[in-house]
Order: sequence, then C-alpha cells, then structure tokens
Amino acid sequence: MIGQLIIEGLAIGACYGLFAIAVVIIYKTSEVVNFAQGEMAMLSTFIAFHILNYYHYPFWLAFILTMAFAILLGVLIEFLFLRPAKHPSLLGLIVITLGAEMLLMGLAGWKWGAEQKEFVVPMSYQVTHEPFPGMIINDWAIAVFITAALVMVLLFLFFKYTKLGIAMRATQQNQHAAKIMGIRVERVFSIAWGFSSLIGTIAAMFFASRSTLDPGFMLEPFLRAFAAAVLGGLMSIPGVFIGGELLGLIENFFGYVWPEWKPIVAFVVIILVLCIRPSGLFAKHYVKKV
Amino acid sequence: MKLKTTVGMIVLALAVALLMAPAAFAGKPGFDDKEIRIAAWGPQTGPAAAWGNVARGPNVMAAIVNAEGGIHGRKLKHFVRDDQYNPAQTKLVVKELVEQQGIFSFVCGTSAAGGMAVKDYLKDNKVIWVGPATSVEEYVFPVNPYLFTIMPLYEDEASILTKYVVEKLKMKKIGILYQNDPYGKNGLKGVLQRLKKYRMKAVAEIPVEPTEQDLASQMQKFKSSGAEAVLMWVAPKTAVIALKTSKSMGYTPQWVSSMTLGDYELMYKISGGLWEGVVTGAFTLPPETRHPLMDKYREATKKYAPEERWGVFFHAGIMFTEPLIHALKKVGKNLSTEACLRELNKIRNFKGTGGKITYTPKRHQGTDSIMVMKCGPNATYIKVMDWTSNELASWKK
Repeated sequence: MIGQLIIEGLAIGACYGLFAIAVVIIYKTSEVVNFAQGEMAMLSTFIAFHILNYYHYPFWLAFILTMAFAILLGVLIEFLFLRPAKHPSLLGLIVITLGAEMLLMGLAGWKWGAEQKEFVVPMSYQVTHEPFPGMIINDWAIAVFITAALVMVLLFLFFKYTKLGIAMRATQQNQHAAKIMGIRVERVFSIAWGFSSLIGTIAAMFFASRSTLDPGFMLEPFLRAFAAAVLGGLMSIPGVFIGGELLGLIENFFGYVWPEWKPIVAFVVIILVLCIRPSGLFAKHYVKKV
Repeated sequence: MKLKTTVGMIVLALAVALLMAPAAFAGKPGFDDKEIRIAAWGPQTGPAAAWGNVARGPNVMAAIVNAEGGIHGRKLKHFVRDDQYNPAQTKLVVKELVEQQGIFSFVCGTSAAGGMAVKDYLKDNKVIWVGPATSVEEYVFPVNPYLFTIMPLYEDEASILTKYVVEKLKMKKIGILYQNDPYGKNGLKGVLQRLKKYRMKAVAEIPVEPTEQDLASQMQKFKSSGAEAVLMWVAPKTAVIALKTSKSMGYTPQWVSSMTLGDYELMYKISGGLWEGVVTGAFTLPPETRHPLMDKYREATKKYAPEERWGVFFHAGIMFTEPLIHALKKVGKNLSTEACLRELNKIRNFKGTGGKITYTPKRHQGTDSIMVMKCGPNATYIKVMDWTSNELASWKK
C-alpha cells in the first residue's frame, strides 16, 4: 500500500513539477506570475485533440505540431498582451494575464464546447506492470517519469551551456545590465514564454489523458503547480520540481488517511511555506542592498 | 429647515420601507397575454458541463408547444443561464431572470448546492419551480408550496441500488465515493440506510470535491478496504478519473453510480470505454426507447435543435417540463401562479416519460421509483431491474 502511494504520489507530483517549471520559467525571466499558464496549455492540448480526432494524424506528428503551436502561442501572448503594457505594475501584470486566461478559456469553449472529451496518449494508464508484489506501475506513470527527467536534463544543459540560456539567466539577474551587454531582452522574454508554453503543454497532455479534456481542466492543476512552485522556491527550477514531487507525496499520504482534507493540503502548504520560508525550500534568498 | 427635515424623514421612511419590503415585490410578472416565460439554469461550462444540456432540453418542449398553437393562446418562452455549477453564480443568474426577465416557473436546475442557494429566494418571490434536475430531501421536506420535484431522491435511489448490489450481485463489501455536498451526502445516507437493514457497514466512505483531479489515494483506500463494489454520487469528470485511476492500479470493483451519470454515450466516450459494465439508476426511459412520446421528442429535437445530441440528459430536460405543461393546460385561459399551483397539486399518477408522478398539497416529492440499468457494449442500455420503489423511504412513513 505504501509503495503504491509513493508511485502514485511521485507520478502526479512529476506532473505538478513539470507544470510548475513552466510557471517558473516565465517568473524567472520577467517576474510575472502568469495566470493564463493553465489555459495556454489547455488550448494547445485542444489543438492536439483536434489534430488527432479531426485530421487523424499519428500521435507523434500531432505532438510535434502541437509543440510548435504551443511555442507560437506563448510568444504571441507575450508580444500581444505583455509587451504593449508600458511600465505596468505587478497588479497590472496579474490583470493582463487574468484577461488572457479568460480569453483563452472562452475561445476553447466556443470552438470545442464545454463537454468533456477523452484525450488519448500512446502511453496508456491501462497497461500495468507489477515490479514488486502489490506495487503496480502503469505506462502513463513511466512516461511521466521519463519525460520529467528528460526535460530537467535538457533545461540544465540549456541554461548552463547555450548562449540563449545564459542570456535568459542574465536577463533574470539584471535586466538593465543584460541590455547594456547587448542582450535583446524583449526577445528573451518572448522565447521564455514560448518555452514555458511548450513545457506546460506537455504536462497538460499528461493531465488530460488521466482525466478528461475540457476548457476548465487546467484550473486545478495550475493551483497545485503554483503551490509546488512556492514550496520549491519560485526561482529554482530543480527546486520547483522537487516541490511538485513533495506535494504529490504529501497529498497522497494525507489523502489516504484524511481524504476529506486532501483538497486543501496544497493551500496549507503554500501558507506554511510563505510564513516559515518565504523564498521556498530550495531557492537562495537574496538580500538586496539599497 | 422644517421642510428639509420633513423631506429627509420621508426619504428615510421610503428607504426603510424599501429595505423592509418583502422580496415578493422584487420579481416581474412571469407571463402576459402573449407568452409564458420559463427558465432553467445549468452548468454550460465548468466541471459539470456534461449536465449542461438538461437546461437546454425545455427549448424543444417550448418549440413543440408553440408549434401546436401554444397554451391557451400563449407561447412558451424558455431562458437558459450558465451557473458554472457554482452556487454563487446560480444566485446571480436566478436573480437576473426573476427581476429582469420575469419568470413564471423555473424547470430543471442542476446542482443540489445551487438549488439550495436559490430555493428560498424563489419561494419568497412566489416563483414556481418544477422538476429540479437534482433531488435532495431539503427541497421538499418540509413541503415548499412552490417546488415540485420529479427525480426520485438520491437517498431512495441509493437505497434501491444498494439493494440490487447486495441481493442480486451478492456483494458484501461496499465502498462509497460521494461528492462533498447535499447531492453526495444524500446518496451516502441512502446506502447506509439500506446497509443498516442488512446489518452491514460500508467498508469505506470517501468524500470528494468536484474539482479534484488526482484520486489515487482515494482509490488506494478502496483497494485496501477490499471493496467489491463502489457506489458513487459524483460529477461525470470525477467518475471518469476514479475509473481510470483504479484501472491503472489494477483495481476493478463493480462500479455503481447515481442516475446522474446515466448518459452512457457520453460516459462511455469520455472514459475510453471503461463505463461498460457500470450499473446506474435510471429516472427516465432510455433515449432510444420506442414509445409515442419518446418518438415525438426525438423527432422534435432533430427538427428544432439539430445541434444537440439526443441523449438521456437532453431528454430529461424535456421530461422535467411535462407536469408543468400538463398543469398549464389544465389551468385554462385565466392563468395565475395560484391556479397553476392548484393544478400541480391535483396531479395523480401522471405518466410522461419518467416514473409515475403524484403530488398533493402535502407531498411534492413526485416519485420514489427508479429502474436499474447496466452499460453494455458500445454504450447500450441493459435493463437489469424494472421500476422499483424504495420501501424504506423515510418520507413516506
């Protein structure tokens, strides 16, 4: 029983972690909490659904096309919604992303309707393996673990060794200095939004295949991912992933013993972490001298 | 100065009078010489959007009635509002309909919590409400003079389904998954009532919120408890997640569900076929039944609402308006809320496309009967038990 809870907790935690990384990539570069993150991923997942069900393309071709769409969507939202705002306040930025969220949800509802739909990925939850007696793991969970590990490694290599990755880190640390050094900061922002949208869409496809696809299906995962990001530290990519895993485990063990309290665990975690360690468990706490 | 004081006093008195005035003055009349306005709220978006078509069903009934010349010269006009399965939103849309549009009667109305949020408001405004698309005992016990239910109580349904599981399927270990609101809690109550009769106890009782997306720990708890059958009173999405999650853990109990998940075509599709074998209650005839009224509704849907999928819930929306139309026809030309209430209270053994309905001034719970169905291959309906009433129904004693 404990082994099963660990597997399930880690699997859903990896989904939260992946999605939390999407949230953090934008936050790291532009210090915006993107409330439209879930709906960007939702819309891209609907595109995959559309390609699969109306054009009957093979899954992997649909996947590649969807990823291209997700990047384009992220870039477009940054370009059309965020960039025109001149020196916006934090509240202004939140309102802009909330507006984008409503717009995307309305768009999906108009195009595909509000009824739930089945979203199928090749790595089925119905194909199960029993590595140890009583411990069952399914293909969906294996795919989540492999994808999460791959994304983490690629992100590490990207931020450590590529010019663009270094430019993104520089922009995050000091936007003005980055500009002076010749980094095109606005382009970096657009790329960050595109990246974030892509990773968010991968996570959303996993969520959708485990539940159903509808315009509101990413509302709850976004809140959980945000909790994971706060838990891990909004500035640390490995931190938020570990935060997601911790949240998945806490929710599953807590939910097993006290199921009625399971829905609020994530929010209790946010409050506790903000009270005890506001920068999160794994983020370095910088003190700015003035 | 004196004049100012007097005017001030009058303004103050008017303000107090307005604040103290009964809510009955808030609403606009629900009919005139040309039309009768009816309305329904339902989740057109959000986690329970699969039930949204119930609220749209009365559009077809209105089209049928209007094509036949209306009711004593008055056309029927139906309004639909989206409450997103959110009681706060239900209050807003109902208030808008009553105070801005003027509604004679509400029909359908999905969500027990949403209904609970507005039932007193409707009563205070003397607005009739027939056939809520949900059924909880708080609606009609004690009798609400303006509210008439058609669906059997979840408590009665749960009791009958449990009887089927224990007596016919011979299962002894029962688990219950229930939504943490009046809908789910009434289902839970019915299961426990029946189990008590057999001197049995549920092996697990697990509440769930309709927005929860990860049910792994809950399914593990059922698995550990050894539940042979899991009875559920939850939203469609929750049910799908429960079935998928338990399947991924190698746990396959006999799933039994409320009539609210009786749209097999939809449930089969969104669960990837896992719905096959699930047992549910049924409060209306299956959609493809050959029956004069069913044939009429099916054809009318094709004609007036070709964009709608003909299924159990869309049909239920039509069925929920049947007693109201019957009463309105009986009232005659001199329509009033009181006259319509009188005719509704006279309904005895009314047979439309659901169970037999009886109302009296002291009893507004229309029926306690359900059929039991099983989802067959390709979402077909297999009747496993005919109309059965709950002999344990506490409200009949």
